[in-house]
Amino acid sequence: MQHHYQSLQEIDRIRDHALLHLEQAREQGSKIVGIYCIFAPGELIRAAGCIPVGLCGKKEDPIPEAETVLPANLCPLIKSSYGYAATDTCPYFAQADMVLGESTCDGKIKMFELLNEIKHCRILHLPPTSRTDSGLRYWYREILKLKDFLEDWTGQRISHTAVRREISRSNRIGRTLWEIGGTCQWDHPPLSGSEMMRIFEANSSTPYPESLRYYADRLLQEVASRRRSTNGTASRPRILLTGSPVGSGSDKVLQLLEQLGAQAVALENCTGLKSLYRNIREDCSDPLHALAERYLQTPCPCMTPNANRFNFIRDLVRQFRIQGVVDLSWQSCQPYSVESSTLSRMIRERLNLSYLHLETDYSNSDTEQLRTRLQAFLELIEDNA
Amino acid sequence: MSDENRRMWSELGLNLRAHDQLLSVLSNAYQDIYLSQQNRPESTSYFDDVMSEIHGQRIQELMREKQQGRKIVGSYCVFVPEEIVQAANATLVGLCSGADFAEEEVEKYLPRNTCSLIKSSLGFKLGRVCPFLEGSDMIVGENTCDGKKKFYETLSDLVPNMYVMDLPQMKSQQGRQMLRSEFYRFLEAMQDLTGFQVDATALRNGIRMVNEKRKAIHRLQSLRTADPAPISGLDALLANQIFLYEDPRRFAREVHKICDELEQRIERGEGVFPANAPRILVSGCPMAVPNWKVPHIVESAGAVIVGEESCVGERGNRNTTEEEGESLEELMEAVVDRYFGIDCAIFTPNPDRTEHILDMAKRYRADGVIHYGLQFCQPYLMESFGVEKSLEDKGIPVLRLETDYSQEDSGQLQTRVEAFLELLK
Repeated sequence: MQHHYQSLQEIDRIRDHALLHLEQAREQGSKIVGIYCIFAPGELIRAAGCIPVGLCGKKEDPIPEAETVLPANLCPLIKSSYGYAATDTCPYFAQADMVLGESTCDGKIKMFELLNEIKHCRILHLPPTSRTDSGLRYWYREILKLKDFLEDWTGQRISHTAVRREISRSNRIGRTLWEIGGTCQWDHPPLSGSEMMRIFEANSSTPYPESLRYYADRLLQEVASRRRSTNGTASRPRILLTGSPVGSGSDKVLQLLEQLGAQAVALENCTGLKSLYRNIREDCSDPLHALAERYLQTPCPCMTPNANRFNFIRDLVRQFRIQGVVDLSWQSCQPYSVESSTLSRMIRERLNLSYLHLETDYSNSDTEQLRTRLQAFLELIEDNA
Repeated sequence: MSDENRRMWSELGLNLRAHDQLLSVLSNAYQDIYLSQQNRPESTSYFDDVMSEIHGQRIQELMREKQQGRKIVGSYCVFVPEEIVQAANATLVGLCSGADFAEEEVEKYLPRNTCSLIKSSLGFKLGRVCPFLEGSDMIVGENTCDGKKKFYETLSDLVPNMYVMDLPQMKSQQGRQMLRSEFYRFLEAMQDLTGFQVDATALRNGIRMVNEKRKAIHRLQSLRTADPAPISGLDALLANQIFLYEDPRRFAREVHKICDELEQRIERGEGVFPANAPRILVSGCPMAVPNWKVPHIVESAGAVIVGEESCVGERGNRNTTEEEGESLEELMEAVVDRYFGIDCAIFTPNPDRTEHILDMAKRYRADGVIHYGLQFCQPYLMESFGVEKSLEDKGIPVLRLETDYSQEDSGQLQTRVEAFLELLK
């Protein structure tokens, strides 16, 4: 794809070559850990000399196959994830030596039981709450157990120094990506939501995040040098997209927004800014505890209560001068869909903004219906402006 | 309806008109489903009494307890340790969640794709028709499944006295430790609520009382292994349902009386259905009053339900709590052990549940198993595939049903159940 920014092309290339690089790394003896969720602590996996890679689950293709062993009333992300594994069509899954799952939602924990029959699947158990000390203690012990496991599995000791090194690397990348995301706060956002999404995807798939960081820094310079002066008339509605994860293949709502002339300036979901939400403490005597602390604060609705998400969205609304919030729940994704009524009240009543809750799946059968709803929503925002 | 009851409901803030409608629907359903049964044991008239006064006499009793300084604690789940509630000088009651109510209102708070049980819990609150809930001094939620976990956030905005308990999702040492620390936190909360300091004696008494009612229901269940079965599955389900809010002492006493009668029946070789009636084990999601839909269909089709692998059934009530501990700490450990054994589908992996189903199928001499899943209940629906496979590997036929609280699919369910029973013959 041609881009107005050269470094963005390089980033796309990093994403496109992720699989090749992964195969090379594996040939050179690195072990690959497949992950599905941003609760999986990549820093610890890397400190063990392994490579974490995000696995497929964003396309509709393998869903019919998955439905032979999973109920149809299950979110498409879980069905797709399982379907890819069961049909052996996810090249990253094929490269993975094991899967690190996590007990976020009901659907996933039960799916991992089935996935374990295909490939060894270790589960990180999350507490249901991030607000208590006992929740943190529980989670910290899970991190310690994961460390022990990785040491046994690789036969390599994980030193605090190595964990610290990885934390500091990941913080650096996170900060750069966060800054790139932040450019969408400008009156004329230099990057579209889809472009942002692709940058985030490169980050979750490449075995070489350092080279990503190099081009991400270059991208920042490029966009800054071409920043247009403000003319004060930001005509296209500035939208925050939140809810269930979205990625290439499951980005129909994002595409519709852009086709309809809106700017998705902030992608709040796990595949977007939420994953960069954390800056892990580097001054902690126990870096594993620092990891545990920060990861547990991920604003995921599997936590109850989930004040972090509401605070995060409130901050983003202010920073990105959001005019409307689109909250996407995948069908049968209970954590997000149940939380939507609370979010709706906050956005409408406390922030006085337009809010739209969409519930859909990976198919295209409702695309036109979604288009009509989004169109009406955007018109409403423009009328209010 | 006595004026006294109406006054009480009104004081509790119930919506009297809606409540009248609810009671009339309930009473009609009970007539049609329960009183129409043939050959019921005489002593089951206890159930008729309890059901006719479900929101009357029992609530009067609870209100009297409150006047005498006891507290009432409402719960939605069998993970809430009744022993600790009793020990702290309070009474635990299960809250209403077995029928659709105020559906339009509910959909303003919860997505349509939520299981009937959760929607019902909210419906009874929004419609103000559950006197147990309105009379509770504390409502205990528990972080089991996603739907409930998020629902309690909504409910806590609607009631002033919500308490939420965390649960682990794994049967490991660390999981047990979490349950233990949550039970200690709950003990503190109960003591704060009642102002009563729980010591070893109080907890032991609480354990004994709850064990007594469990032993009564265990006895009832064991009598259902007889062929022909001496009691219908519907009546046994009702015993399990009222287990959750009846006065525990009276419950134990009356259920033992029923058991005495059942023993005589067994001696005479007398069953509630003909000896060749197919024997069915029901496994899966809980059925709260008045959710009698599937058992009614099954037994109307000529089969007899001999066991319930369910929270409102053996999953919820099996195992007593060890009473022998000397100190409060030892007794607390026993309480934790007992509840940590519950094989709810929120645990991963959950092989104990499959083992339990296989064991029950054998013990109750079931000819087939019906897996009862509520629509959108992911934990049980997802487990149902594995359960089906394990049972069929052992040659036990399985029918997986997925339904909700509406009656719309009754005809369809009936056809499927009848076809399944045909297969068993």
